[in-house]
Amino acid sequence: MESLTEKTRLLAVLKKQPADRPPVICPGGMMNAAVVEVVRQTGINLPEAHGDPELMAGLARAVRRLTGFENFGVPFCMTVEAEALGSAVDYGTLACEPKIAREAYNRAAAVNFREIEELLAAGRVRAVAGAVASLAAGDPDVPVLACLTGPISLAASLVDPGEFLKDLRRDRENAHRVLDYVTSFLERFALLLASSGAAAITVADPTATGEILGPSLFNEYALPYLRRVVAGVHRAGLPVIVHICGNVNKVKSLLPALQADALSVDAMINLTKLKGEFPEQVVMGNISTYLLQNGGAAKITGFTGKLLAGGIDIIAPACGLSTSTPLANIQAMTATVKHSLAPGGELITAQNRGIS
Amino acid sequence: MPEEKKELLQALSDAVFNMEVERAADLARECVDAGIDPFEAIEKGLIDGINRAGVLFEEEEYFVPELLLCSDAMYAGLDVLRPHLPETSETQSGRVVLGVVEGDTHDIGKNLVKIMLEANGFEVIDLGRDVPPQQFVEKARETGAAFIGLSTLMTTTMARMEEVVNRLKEEQIREQYKVVVGGGPISQGFASRIGADGYAVNAVEAVKLFRRLQGA
Repeated sequence: MESLTEKTRLLAVLKKQPADRPPVICPGGMMNAAVVEVVRQTGINLPEAHGDPELMAGLARAVRRLTGFENFGVPFCMTVEAEALGSAVDYGTLACEPKIAREAYNRAAAVNFREIEELLAAGRVRAVAGAVASLAAGDPDVPVLACLTGPISLAASLVDPGEFLKDLRRDRENAHRVLDYVTSFLERFALLLASSGAAAITVADPTATGEILGPSLFNEYALPYLRRVVAGVHRAGLPVIVHICGNVNKVKSLLPALQADALSVDAMINLTKLKGEFPEQVVMGNISTYLLQNGGAAKITGFTGKLLAGGIDIIAPACGLSTSTPLANIQAMTATVKHSLAPGGELITAQNRGIS
Repeated sequence: MPEEKKELLQALSDAVFNMEVERAADLARECVDAGIDPFEAIEKGLIDGINRAGVLFEEEEYFVPELLLCSDAMYAGLDVLRPHLPETSETQSGRVVLGVVEGDTHDIGKNLVKIMLEANGFEVIDLGRDVPPQQFVEKARETGAAFIGLSTLMTTTMARMEEVVNRLKEEQIREQYKVVVGGGPISQGFASRIGADGYAVNAVEAVKLFRRLQGA
């Protein structure tokens, strides 16, 4: 096998083609590795880098260099889309990620539908696209991952989340109209990111969990709109990773229908078992972010080795990293994956190395 | 209990259970008109309804949207009945300072806990969302609360919970409060590690936990 670049390896895995070993990545957005210890070493500040394409790209390069993740991931929050649609955002601090300060609307019925073109020029949309373009142009061998906020989470950041969840039951017509609107925006945003040079898109929809919605509302709302975003990314010619938070067991049977090129799940899911149930599904994950923060390098190395032994396709953190995660712990995770090839080419795993 | 009264209370409970907000308010008015003790209407109607909803929530028949709509119906009924309660008649199980930790603005879970605690006689001082650690400590001290309840949905902000516990220790007032934690990424293991007094998996379990801790 020819020697793979970080980009060809990730794209091969997403296409279910053979690769020498799993990639180890951190996709950006809600799952980003711009932790305090990393950012402090870069000379770039947060929150400034959340809104400036060159600072964002510079920080993404530094994150990759320091952590060992095999990709660039932008942005470093999940508020870009809601801000473009009109919600107020608090950009936070070095230690505190940006968050929605105030949703633009209090009910789905109140949402004012704006032109998608207008939204694509609003807020930090162009800054993210600019960062993607800069990263893609600078290092063609490194995959640039751009992360989008999924439709349910976006709608629940545009409309008061409690009221929006109630609207899913009491005002279905307007709930669907809002989801159609945010999905149309996400499709176009994905196209912009693709034309800017992104290698793949990650869609993270933490509000669209089986635990919050239940199977019936997940099926009615989360599934069709997530599928539309996935199809939109595919039309743009890119693979797509979908991340679902929480315990997916209640909606597990619906997951292959998302048609994601890779499915990423939270730490409480036994990923090897999930892979066993859906052997055709490429899976990504799922190093506990609690372990990454508090576990210590030896435990993290051991758990990473277990994921490798379990045939997990892409190794990544299970959810959003705490900004106080020690860099050494992240490095333990990435180094374990990178050093998992024996001289003969076979994968070294925790099992055959005798680590448990 | 006269048959008519029994039916009215049952209908009020059903309105809450079936997420019928306006019907709950209408039936509460009917209770007032029929001369039913507002306490009884609250307890055997509204709270009975929300607790039945809580059972379905635990059984995973109801999920967050359903429980939120049931609570809207309960509050719609309460708004009608409260003015008819005698003053100073509130019986309190205990005072709780509750909030979502700093950095996180997801407050639905916290609101569900508040609803279920209030429905079960606890007084909740709601600090809202994105609450700095020191604010929990100060508000608990100021109000003489027995409990501090901390919520987060995000793995990125779990560490703030430990900060609250540590601040209580630094100020040597840790033993004065029961600290309870909850939220999507939280587990009993996490709660034990950071030195919290308890963890509950959802709002219904939270009420049981608060009661247990109160007895402790």
